[in-house]
Amino acid sequence: MNVYNWDNYVAHETVADFEKLHQCQVRYGIYASAEEMLAKVISGNSGWDVVFPSNSFIGPMRELGLLLQLQKDRLPNLSNLETRFQAPEWDRTLDWCVPYMHSATGILYSRTAPIAPRAWADLWSDAYRRRVTMLDDPAEVFGACLKRLGRSVNAVDENTLQAARDLAIQQKPFLRAYLSEQVRDQIAAGDVLAAQMWAQVAQVVIDAAPQLAFSFPAEGFALYADNICILQESRHQELAYEWVNYLLEPKVAATIAEEISGATANAQARALLPERLRHNPVLYPSDEVLARGEWFRPLPAKAQQLRDRYWTEIKSA
Amino acid sequence: MTTVRLPRLFLLPSQWLLGATVLAPLLVIAIYSLLTRGAYGGVTGPTTLGSYGRVFQPIYLYILWRSIWVAALSTVLCLILAFPLAFYIARAARNRTLLLNLVMLPFWTSFLVRTYAWMFLLRDTGLLNTTLQRLGLIHVPIPLLFNVGAVVLGLVYGYLPFMILPLYATLEKLDPSLLEAALDLGATPASAIWRVAVPLSRPGILAGCALVFIPCLGAYLTPDLMGGGKTVMIGNLVQNQFTNARDWPFGAALSLVFLGLSGLVAVGLQRRGDQLL
Repeated sequence: MNVYNWDNYVAHETVADFEKLHQCQVRYGIYASAEEMLAKVISGNSGWDVVFPSNSFIGPMRELGLLLQLQKDRLPNLSNLETRFQAPEWDRTLDWCVPYMHSATGILYSRTAPIAPRAWADLWSDAYRRRVTMLDDPAEVFGACLKRLGRSVNAVDENTLQAARDLAIQQKPFLRAYLSEQVRDQIAAGDVLAAQMWAQVAQVVIDAAPQLAFSFPAEGFALYADNICILQESRHQELAYEWVNYLLEPKVAATIAEEISGATANAQARALLPERLRHNPVLYPSDEVLARGEWFRPLPAKAQQLRDRYWTEIKSA
Repeated sequence: MTTVRLPRLFLLPSQWLLGATVLAPLLVIAIYSLLTRGAYGGVTGPTTLGSYGRVFQPIYLYILWRSIWVAALSTVLCLILAFPLAFYIARAARNRTLLLNLVMLPFWTSFLVRTYAWMFLLRDTGLLNTTLQRLGLIHVPIPLLFNVGAVVLGLVYGYLPFMILPLYATLEKLDPSLLEAALDLGATPASAIWRVAVPLSRPGILAGCALVFIPCLGAYLTPDLMGGGKTVMIGNLVQNQFTNARDWPFGAALSLVFLGLSGLVAVGLQRRGDQLL
């Protein structure tokens, strides 16, 4: 069986234990971006059986006929999922995917900073001049700017996107750089005081550098989740179902969540986690905080093209 | 007949290799550039010249222009640094092989690792800034990283050996008695180098410039890492089309226009080089 996943998304023994349990061999590959995964599987004969797409990729991949419609009676462990992941907005009846890990985009900051950032707007302030970074990802930068404007992270109309672009350009003099995960050691070392960051990555950094903290911006923020999907092309469906069910087992899911400091969508697994993780406000924000979050959605091609055009303008401003 | 055919036969393997690994992918890119963007990446029909139309919009021309500017500046700096060094190595009485090996030593580690090493040196809490602060020369760290200067530094550092080696090759063949003659006839050492050594090493200078300018023009790792993603060069633009923007036809059109441009530069420099030889 062939599993294609993000890097660092299972525990050390997860694959080996499954192989022992089912007397099989698993080919396990990793990808660095959802686009990379999609480009591989879009042909329909990539050789992979199971992939882990983000929520905004589920709709498009289903429309492209890439996903297998799940027979839920073959996945008894589905009931272990948290209630809100039993009917997520990208697949209300879980016909095509099983939510795996979830996270959100917020601000990782140093407690030594002059002010603690409570809102995206704080990242446009003199307090952080040249000591702040944004993610090198157009969806995230637009997301923050759109939330500042009081709009949806999934906005598609030209005027709104233009206003978001202008905000991003205004921010450039305050920015040190557009950095994704590379910012980790720079914020730990104190070069950078505040960084737009994914909550899950932030938690890993905070574990190693306790002077850091994380905030969920007041204006609202983006949510995302990665999901387990079986591909339509899968030639090992039997094992693929076993694998999905295995990942849903409380003990297996808890071991993974603990080892990678991730937020599992599995309620039974979360209950098994040590206190430090189980009630961690960065990984599992309260309902009150979550109410400000908004899931990323797939964008129509025209909006995608417009955003890319504006992204180029932001970057070369 | 056999005398003509045999060398041709020898060429066959490399011709096939070039055809399969260079021309065939290039053809694929050319076809992609004429197609329409698929909704989720990839390409679909119908064929169109639209992608080429977009390449010539002001924003992309501006990025192209800035890439040329950064690449040209890096090339000139490489030349200024490389010429004295190549001259010194070519004239060194001993240890020439050792010196040349030292020039090539950086190639033993990956470019990515070396770029990260520069980032560790240049950042606010890096070696340079902390040393200057300890010495009391500065009080707040100077912004050395994540700007155009850092990009140029990274490019000059990365491509300097490509300038030194062709310069060395021509300077090494330069007859020392020509320089002696110039000195005997009353030239100062500086003007002997400027008016004799430099003109005679033109082919090496042009070859070095082409070897540095062209890869600098297409660089994307250095602007991304040393520039902190704040300055876009044409390489980053192309890369983004194939990843985040999922606009393969536009990415293909951009890279073909860019390839044509580099080709023109290479041919131009080659012509001048041939004339001077």
